Amino acid sequence: MNYALIRTTRLDLGAFARATGTHPDLIRRLVALGVIDARQDPSGELWFSPSQLAAFARVQRLRAGFPLNYAAIGLVTDLLDRIAALEDALRCSRRPGA
Amino acid sequence: MAEGRDFYEILGVPRNASQEEIQRAYRKLARTYHPDINSDPVAEDRFKDISEAYNVLSDPAIRRRYDAFGPEFRQIPEDVDPDAWRRSRAGAGAGRAGTAGAGAGGGFRYGAGDMDFDIEDIFGGLFGARPGRGWGPIPGADQEAELPLTVEEVYRGGRKSVTIGGAEQRSFEVNIPPGVTDGQRIRLAGQGGRGGDGARAGDLYFIVRILPHPIYRIQGRDLHVELRLAPWEAALGTSVAVDTPGGEAKVKVPHGTSCGKRLRLRGRGLPNPRGQPGDLFAEAKILVPATLSPTQRELFEQLAAASDFDPRSRQ
Repeated sequence: MNYALIRTTRLDLGAFARATGTHPDLIRRLVALGVIDARQDPSGELWFSPSQLAAFARVQRLRAGFPLNYAAIGLVTDLLDRIAALEDALRCSRRPGA
Repeated sequence: MAEGRDFYEILGVPRNASQEEIQRAYRKLARTYHPDINSDPVAEDRFKDISEAYNVLSDPAIRRRYDAFGPEFRQIPEDVDPDAWRRSRAGAGAGRAGTAGAGAGGGFRYGAGDMDFDIEDIFGGLFGARPGRGWGPIPGADQEAELPLTVEEVYRGGRKSVTIGGAEQRSFEVNIPPGVTDGQRIRLAGQGGRGGDGARAGDLYFIVRILPHPIYRIQGRDLHVELRLAPWEAALGTSVAVDTPGGEAKVKVPHGTSCGKRLRLRGRGLPNPRGQPGDLFAEAKILVPATLSPTQRELFEQLAAASDFDPRSRQ
């Protein structure tokens, strides 16, 4: 039987750890804290979308810039996302003629 | 970079500030200028300066050396006596006068000779691999800057030269698609915050902001203009030239046009790269002369007497 080769855009734990230069255990911990989003398949394997690479980079920058623990970083990133959404909405409401 | 700027000035603290004051100033500034909290492209450089100043002033031993030797302290060997150094500097005369004094004009040299000091090291120290952290190089943050555009620029599209940044300015040739709308983002890949230790840079996003225009009011891709008419033009009908971003257009004003009536010029609004362009609406506005000559007054009086038109009748 032949299978078509499909380019996958998701990363497994090993690939994600390699791409970020981090230990897989730290990634697992961040997923458990809800700081990074991952999907778990029925076999328990974690899968990451490429957008989470940028999310992880932000976690690293915040961690390097402030003495925050990972749970606090989760809170900070959530608040930053909410502020970004509010700023976008504010920008839309300021549009000429809106 | 903090070239030529005093570290105390960067943190906004007096030279005799306590370690606690220095830390408080740094924490406050870091919360304002951290690239993930402030996406303004200028913020990253400020954050780097602030961190560099804090790295020096937070360590009492390094701070003492900075106080004694000024911005060149890293190039002075550890065993040099500050007083002897100052005397030798004063004796060196006019040849070095330009670099005398802490923070004034001299600045750092980042040459290959400065073995342990390089601006990339400082940046790498901020967001790069730190021993024991278990991290690889950290990619740069995305940045956002507003891109103010006139209605004409939005209509035509094309390339526009844009300069952003404070002390360290950067210029870009931004490709503006015709018909870009307010709030739309234009992405410049890899032009955002620098990554530490060779990691990839973030992206720079220009957020389009359409400037208020003296004659056009924008609603999505539709444009609204005022169409000024004399009372007799509105009553009898006429043909008027209207400005559009693409040039003048003739509008046929039907007779009996009242104030507020909108005439649509289909497709004469802003272009749409994916579909129908917007329309241009010319809204009638009737103006009367502020003063009348005796003849004109007489003619209006005749009209008033002959007319049975009642604009206030409720029918």
